[in-house]
Amino acid sequence: MARINDVGGTQGFGAIDTTDDTEPFHADWEARVVGLYNTLRAQGIFNTNEFRDAIESMPPADYLATSYYERWFLAICSLLERKGVIEPGELDD
Amino acid sequence: MTDAPPDRFPPGTRVRTFRHDPPHHTRLPRYARGKRGVVVEPEGPDELPDISAQGRGDAPVEQIYAVRFAARDLWGEGDHHVVLDLWESYLEEDRQDER
Amino acid sequence: MSGDHHTDATTARRVRRLETLLEEKGLITGERLDEAIDAFLAESSPANGARVVARAWTDDAYRARLLADGTAAVQELGHMEGSYQRLRVVENTESVHNVIVCTLCSCYPLRLLGPSPSWYKSEAYRSRVVREPRAVLREFGLTLPDSVDVVVWDSSAETRYMVLPRRPQATEGLDEEELAALVTRNALIGTAPL
Repeated sequence: MARINDVGGTQGFGAIDTTDDTEPFHADWEARVVGLYNTLRAQGIFNTNEFRDAIESMPPADYLATSYYERWFLAICSLLERKGVIEPGELDD
Repeated sequence: MTDAPPDRFPPGTRVRTFRHDPPHHTRLPRYARGKRGVVVEPEGPDELPDISAQGRGDAPVEQIYAVRFAARDLWGEGDHHVVLDLWESYLEEDRQDER
Repeated sequence: MSGDHHTDATTARRVRRLETLLEEKGLITGERLDEAIDAFLAESSPANGARVVARAWTDDAYRARLLADGTAAVQELGHMEGSYQRLRVVENTESVHNVIVCTLCSCYPLRLLGPSPSWYKSEAYRSRVVREPRAVLREFGLTLPDSVDVVVWDSSAETRYMVLPRRPQATEGLDEEELAALVTRNALIGTAPL
């Protein structure tokens, strides 16, 4: 038993795509998410370990279906909800 | 940290990791639980992530050790080594006479 | 990777909405966010790590300091100032090859190597390199003799690792700047030789 992020030694992830991508971000929103993370953490809204905990607590199927920075965004949202900064559903269409 | 106590596990100490599978954030990955390794060096003290991940302000500060494992001991085969940073409370001394 | 255009557009919209909400609540401003992104990119470049390596290759006393206390040694060159993280530099030799991973998340010496490549963050790399590093390194085109001990360093948020690669042969005539130009990002992670 372990969380879904704890993948060391797990079999089945297949070959590594060793493409040497040098662009730090693949879309503008990814940069905004990093900016949000750094700004909110610097303000003490959450700490690094709470943020990691929020990523690791994702349902395994969601974790594997989302991209790296999507996980970051979902983790930020769940922390902000838990801390009462935003209301559940406030970001929905 | 000038008056910090001496490290519990000096370099070269044989250690064993706990088997514990905690219901919260931890830095002891599944593959290294209940395994034998050797302390390389202390990395320096820091907050125990298991507690600080819960948003608590009372996380104890512990020494972190770089611990070296033989692939054979982790996976039952292999000739490489893995080094992992582990907090003091994840470790106990692996006494030869208890083996 | 989300190559999915629809997902991307949806996420982009939700990120924008969160930004607006947090601005309304007075927690962030657009300018502060821009500054945070600019600072993130400005402080972080693989050229930093390359410079450190070139110095270590040309200055034995520096090399010794770098291996003894990576954080202090890179701060001498103006890197990682004010960082809460520590740096440990691990040296490749004739008999030891080091490679870096973070199996639990994606910890990486950002300040010295710049933002990490996608493969470093992938489950495939994170799951396999601790289990079968020789096979993984072969996928990167690096085949090591059995006599070389492969050491995999599984990083933490608190201590980041960087590999000090072996200096390529026939580079005696090169100066520090020319040497730095030879250093690649993958060599600093340990997935490529020089």
